[in-house]
Amino acid sequence: MAPERTGPVNAALPDLRDLDVLVIGTGAGGAPLLARLASAGLRVAALEAGVRHPPSGIATDEVAQAGLFWMDERLSAGGDPVGFGRNNSGRGVGGSTLHYTAYTPRAHPDDFTLHSDTGQGVDWPLTYADLAPYYDEVETFIGVSGPAEYPWGGERSGPYPHPPLPVNGAGLLMERACAEVGIRTSPAANAALSRPQEQEGFGLRPACSNRGFCQAGCSTGAKASLDVTFLALAEARGAVIVDGAQVVALLTEGGRVTGARFVRGGREETLHAGTVVLAAGAVETPRLLLMQGLANSSGQVGRNFMAHVGVQVWGLVDEDLRPYRGIPGGLISEDTHRIPGVIGGYLLQSLGVMPVTYATQFARGTGTWGAALTEHLRQYRHVAGINVLGDCLPYGHNYLELSAEPDARGLPKPRVHFTFGENERRMAAHAETLMRDLWARAGARDVWALPRAAHTLGTARMGHDPRGSVVDPWGRAHDTPGLWICDNSTFPSALAVNPALTQMALSLRTADALLSDLRPQQVTA
Amino acid sequence: MTSAERAAILAALNGPHVSAPTREALLARLDARYERRYFTEADFRVLRAAAVRLVPHDPDELDLTGLVDDRLHAGRTDGWRYAAAPPDGEAYRALLASLPADFAALDDCAQDDALRAAQGAHPHAFEDLLAELTEGFMAHPLTAYRFGYAGFMDVPGWQVAPDAFEEREVTYGP
Ligand SMILES: Cc1cc2nc3c(=O)[nH]c(=O)nc-3n(C[C@H](O)[C@H](O)[C@H](O)COP(=O)(O)OP(=O)(O)OC[C@H]3O[C@@H](n4cnc5c(N)ncnc54)[C@H](O)[C@@H]3O)c2cc1C
Ligand code: SF4
Repeated sequence: MAPERTGPVNAALPDLRDLDVLVIGTGAGGAPLLARLASAGLRVAALEAGVRHPPSGIATDEVAQAGLFWMDERLSAGGDPVGFGRNNSGRGVGGSTLHYTAYTPRAHPDDFTLHSDTGQGVDWPLTYADLAPYYDEVETFIGVSGPAEYPWGGERSGPYPHPPLPVNGAGLLMERACAEVGIRTSPAANAALSRPQEQEGFGLRPACSNRGFCQAGCSTGAKASLDVTFLALAEARGAVIVDGAQVVALLTEGGRVTGARFVRGGREETLHAGTVVLAAGAVETPRLLLMQGLANSSGQVGRNFMAHVGVQVWGLVDEDLRPYRGIPGGLISEDTHRIPGVIGGYLLQSLGVMPVTYATQFARGTGTWGAALTEHLRQYRHVAGINVLGDCLPYGHNYLELSAEPDARGLPKPRVHFTFGENERRMAAHAETLMRDLWARAGARDVWALPRAAHTLGTARMGHDPRGSVVDPWGRAHDTPGLWICDNSTFPSALAVNPALTQMALSLRTADALLSDLRPQQVTA
Repeated sequence: MTSAERAAILAALNGPHVSAPTREALLARLDARYERRYFTEADFRVLRAAAVRLVPHDPDELDLTGLVDDRLHAGRTDGWRYAAAPPDGEAYRALLASLPADFAALDDCAQDDALRAAQGAHPHAFEDLLAELTEGFMAHPLTAYRFGYAGFMDVPGWQVAPDAFEEREVTYGP
């Protein structure tokens, strides 16, 4: 592994006294909110543990890009331990969106009412209709590419802002195989540009050049990571982003959160603000709270950790497919959004894959070594992949806690317990059977399945009841004045879709609530 | 690495289709060698022999064992480990200790038998080591060349359709 590739950490901090709002973390949860608050004229700043990764510095090489990931060691426990690092968590100005695949389907109306519909899981304390205007706004602003008519889900006010991106080799195979068994497919909604778009604060973002390394960072700005979209806007509107600044504690005064202590360039510093928004993701957010016993009168901090069912099926095909070409997230089907015998459901997606990711997954997933390993890898150009992303119910046995093992800073490493429930196992089995059938129809040989869990969700759930949730439906901590939470930790259930778009929509909604809380004071001030 | 291989790799890396950050990373890796600093000499010898069986390669071309040693010496992690397993270095040492002391001198069959036993006895450490070696192998420009992988030629312009390749993709490789 190469050392972290880092951009320079800007030397001196600007004057950051009298901040209205301090945001911790600049991912899908922190960034849209930062832009909204700055646009409303508030004095806002964000502290981001990682550094800037401008497109011009991105290498088309997975090892060189390891610095995009959160590499502080986490401990994975339970029956289905979740892999972190390059599998699951970002670090940098833009958070995990620097390396997300940029699949951006909307949640379905019935994803928010799972408990009402099935008696299991939980309902969200908000509806699809609450989020729809925010979905519209995010899709337009970041420039989602997608079909004119999307076959599934809730009502849309209009088509996607850009036409669909071209479908890669695996997508074409999936399309054919699905047609044979009567499953509908569609080009996916993907937050990479199919035509150029002007972006305030960044400039002209070009159309995707099909280089296929979205999960190692986009070198052109075509992919809507948050650094080239909402964060560029935020800075253009006056927000200050302090990078290389890892928060180690929240500051409190008489029970109110008033700022944060952070380490930057080896030095400890503090910043104060009227309001603090914690947006450090579903592992670091509960970790920070648990270290101080904050916002936890419900006992729910760290509870209900969830990760999507993410089985992948791979095979070798005769076609010279070259799975590094084109956006990896090209074709989708949501015909399996609800399946009999299972609570919830999943969506089906074609895959592209970068060589090192494929090789290490194959080695880990199959335990193959020796000549059999290198002979398989020699055929990388013929690898075709397909996967699902399925709902995951919240369970008491899945949680995050602080371990007794200190990290390099002397802070306790988090230990994450995760074991799929019976429902997730049934869903994964259903999905694997379907995908193996599809890949048999596509003529794939040496087919193998990788059971996987994707995304980190839950651990500081939102809800109406302060006894059963950490934040209210807009993100205010129930029991801790001055503190809001806005990241994947607030998800009460996993949803049967990828989380980033919903997270960005929630972020704008939280910003609007925060503004309406703050505005009366602003007017009198 | 033959001189023809080296010439072809350098021509591609220094050519017009590779962006500066990618070129920098791959050129640095092409001849990377590491001094042993973490393992004892005896452990290192066993590790190198095991690495060659796990991910067949020529250690004179690809210093995969040195890469592992260097990472452990620098204390870099990959962001997580199985909670039930000790830290990577300790886990690897235990794995190596479970192999016969004269492992490096055994014939291929005996080495493979010993490794199979180690895979059963130390599944997590074995999996982590295998993945780490596989990464070093697959990320190396020489492997890319031999496998005809041209995805690092990243200057904008790829086509997507599976049968419409670009000149630079088709011609790269032995
Ligand atoms: C490989 C991969 C592919 C993905 N693909 C998709 C996809 O196709 N579609 C999709 O919808 N989702 C995808 N996701 C998931 C998506 O990226 C996340 O759901 C989303 O980014 C989560 O937003 P967040 O704000 O909760 O956390 P993040 O985006 O991870 O942001 C958290 C930020 O907080 C910072 N931080 C953490 N702790 C501290 C601290 N103590 N001090 C300062 N800063 C701190 C981190 O550095 C990070 O920048 C993918 C994820 C991965 C890993
Ligand atoms: S495939 Fe497109 S969006 Fe993805 S990294 Fe390449 S240029 Fe960016």
